[in-house]
Amino acid sequence: MTPPAATRTVRPEVVTREVTAPRPSWIERATSADHKSVGLLYIATALTFIALAAVQFALMRAQLIVPENSLLQPEIFNRLMSTSAITFVVFGCVPLALGLISYIVPLQIGARGVALPRLNQLSYYLYLAGGVTLFASFLYTAPESGTAALPPLSDLSFSGSNGADAWIAGTALATLGFVCFAINLVVTTRKLRAPGLAWRRMPLFTAAATVIGYILLVIGPAMIAALTMLEVDRRFDGVFFDPQEGGAPLLYEHLSYIFMTGVYLIVFLAAAGAISEILPTFARKPIFSRRAVAGCFAAIAGLGLLAWMQNMYIAPLNEGWTLMAMAFALSLLVPIGVLFYNWIATIWGGTLELRAASLYALVAIATISFGLVGELAYSLIPVGWALDNTVASQGDTLYVLVGGGVIGGFAALHYWFPKMSGRMLGEGLGKAALLTIFVGLNLYVLPMFLAGLEGQPVDAYEYYENTGVDGYNLIASIGAFVLVIGILLELGNAAHSWNNGNRARGHDPWAGSTLEWFALSPPPPHNFDAVPDVRSGEPLHDIRESIAIRERAFVAPAALERVASPVPAGAVEPAADAEAPGGDEPPAEPEAPTGPEAPESAVDEAPADSDPAARDSDDAEDPPVA
Amino acid sequence: MSRRTIPLAALCACLALACLATPAGAVSLTPPEPHSPNAETIQTSYVVMAVIAVLLVIAVNGALIAAVLRFRERRGTEPAQFTAGRGALRPVIGALSVVAVAIFIFGVIATNDARDVEPAGPEGLGAAPTAQVGVKGLAPLQAAAAEAGAAGEEAGAGDSASETSPLEIDAIAQQWLWRFEYPGHTPSDALFSYGELVVPVDTPVILNISSTDVLHSWHVPALGGQVQASPGEVVQTWFKADEIGRYAGASTRFSGTTYPAMRAWVSVVSVTDYQAYIEGQRAALAEAQGAVKAVQDQEDAE
Repeated sequence: MTPPAATRTVRPEVVTREVTAPRPSWIERATSADHKSVGLLYIATALTFIALAAVQFALMRAQLIVPENSLLQPEIFNRLMSTSAITFVVFGCVPLALGLISYIVPLQIGARGVALPRLNQLSYYLYLAGGVTLFASFLYTAPESGTAALPPLSDLSFSGSNGADAWIAGTALATLGFVCFAINLVVTTRKLRAPGLAWRRMPLFTAAATVIGYILLVIGPAMIAALTMLEVDRRFDGVFFDPQEGGAPLLYEHLSYIFMTGVYLIVFLAAAGAISEILPTFARKPIFSRRAVAGCFAAIAGLGLLAWMQNMYIAPLNEGWTLMAMAFALSLLVPIGVLFYNWIATIWGGTLELRAASLYALVAIATISFGLVGELAYSLIPVGWALDNTVASQGDTLYVLVGGGVIGGFAALHYWFPKMSGRMLGEGLGKAALLTIFVGLNLYVLPMFLAGLEGQPVDAYEYYENTGVDGYNLIASIGAFVLVIGILLELGNAAHSWNNGNRARGHDPWAGSTLEWFALSPPPPHNFDAVPDVRSGEPLHDIRESIAIRERAFVAPAALERVASPVPAGAVEPAADAEAPGGDEPPAEPEAPTGPEAPESAVDEAPADSDPAARDSDDAEDPPVA
Repeated sequence: MSRRTIPLAALCACLALACLATPAGAVSLTPPEPHSPNAETIQTSYVVMAVIAVLLVIAVNGALIAAVLRFRERRGTEPAQFTAGRGALRPVIGALSVVAVAIFIFGVIATNDARDVEPAGPEGLGAAPTAQVGVKGLAPLQAAAAEAGAAGEEAGAGDSASETSPLEIDAIAQQWLWRFEYPGHTPSDALFSYGELVVPVDTPVILNISSTDVLHSWHVPALGGQVQASPGEVVQTWFKADEIGRYAGASTRFSGTTYPAMRAWVSVVSVTDYQAYIEGQRAALAEAQGAVKAVQDQEDAE
């Protein structure tokens, strides 16, 4: 495409011989250890796995639409069943939460990066390798030893194919990745917080993320140990779980339930953290009690993990252990109840703006409440005897996992999408997808609950006529299809909006209160030009306030006015900026970071200039928070 | 449709669809009708917890919907800026703790109640083990057996074993069939059945559940809760069927390729029918074993 010599004009050139050529953007993204790149990779991969799990789920429900259906062979169904649960939870919901954490948490704590970026990057590739390992098994023989691969069924004598090895290796790789992730996360939140960001001022998503980090450090090694022992049993003549040789299958059951319980808690806590950010922002009111919510996160994690045996009431345990599990499971009522109370009290008295993000958050609260209340009922040992391992408890678990992982995850995605891409996630399609997901989920879970009361077992590829569950399964299958359509709709919405969504109004479209909204959208590699000084739980409100005070005090000389006002406004997004100040925000709302220059100036001057003002607001705000 | 009505409308639509699509009479909001004291305890616990659960759901979601409807964004309203004062959450924590403790106490009582083996009723076999079924281990059962054995000796030597000792049946799971070994079963004196368990009505039956291969579970909803059958472990459960009939159940632990076939039936019959069944089964099995032995002898001779 070189123009003909005659038309070429001579102009100065920059010699780039010594400079490495810019690499294609996908290579840049795949090789960058920047926490935002890693976070986006995590989110994209996790959403892909959620789509895969949704399709697997739809296939399984198609088989179960009528009794004694022969659409899928039992082997095929069992392979789908053995992989779909792990795909949805371990390769979908958890990494989605981790991706959001990787992207948002360093921004929220005002850090320029993470403490151990290469470890963070390694964690993603371990997770990806795990997912590829698991799904590559569909090329030879997919695993078919059940959702948790419980021995002895997953021992070599009962699962002879290599699929079980793929399941073990894939899960172990992903879990190892999560442990690496957790190490980095814990170090980052301990060491890299902005000056003044004490634990009592911690943004709640970061508080939840920190708790998640500690959960992963407990459950990850336990699961890796269990899987290693299982693999040694299978391929290296081990007898860890071989009852004939004195091994204990119950040990694996314990370890895998510790892991599953922890994973469940992670999905719930990530959603709870995101909801605790979204509600105050959209209600324009601070969270009711920051300390109580953060305390609830920690309490839920601790008590929830100790209650892992709540799922094992039917296993051969001593009576004392089951009573202990029941005590811990029931004690969860307190922190979870306080958490819900805080959410409702946060809305109470505020002015709740009903956008897609806040609607997703509200529906997530409702859905999670259905699921957790069911979980409370199953905590009672006799009820657990009746309903554990039936489709009722499965539907109940799905309430929390879909409510937290999918609906809560999409709430978070709607909320932080403008930060990640500079564009809005489609509102209309988002709301339509939410309605579809909510209808589908309820249409699936309610009949499954009734079928579970009749004793329909989980994971079965067929049920029989005249067992009273035909109608329930028909409706549940229809509900499952609606649910899957809703999920795929929202995933398509996200994929489309990434490059084609409406431009976000400025860098802080929601008028958030945490530091990630102080950065540009999308943030530059170093996140912040200057690390802000934090003086309360809502640092961005302080910054806005001090800018407003400064603007009121500043009377521009006539000569400067021409230069001062139009330049930042017209710099990048004329249309967007024209809207921002005159929007529906309260009058005190300044257009804090509107152009690329704005944050720099805000940071350079705000803390220095507005020290007295910020201190005042600190004193005014601190006592109720602390 | 305004935005705030969407979740409400969705919920109503779901409920309406669910109601329309299922014949009204077929919907049962409780587990199947219990036919054993422990199943009754489970039913009671379920009903109590269901009521608590529904109340909590209504409380949380009612408050949530009220908050959203009342405090959604309107023109000209300013958000309040209050946060929790000191001790604002204490009443909530206190109330929830009381509820949790109350549920826990109820749970302990219900659990014990479900494990208590009740004595035989008027129409049942005479055995009356006053034991509690341990979750694990045989100690309580052996004590009960000794006690019942002593009682049986006093009653008279004429009764057969199946009439005086507690009706203790070994239920052994394998891929994908249950094998039931009745009292008096020995390798030489075969007394077992596959798939279907036959028991007398009004008689406490103690099941020793184990597995020969992978994990399974015993679950006949009308006769009590689930018990996991693990290889290398013997776990006990019990039931006392109060009505003649046939009760179905299915294993709830995934156990391999044709796992849905892992079903179980319990036929509850009158005591005389039970004794006739046992005698018939013993005779049939002896005959079959004799035939097998004859063939083997023939083969050996050849």
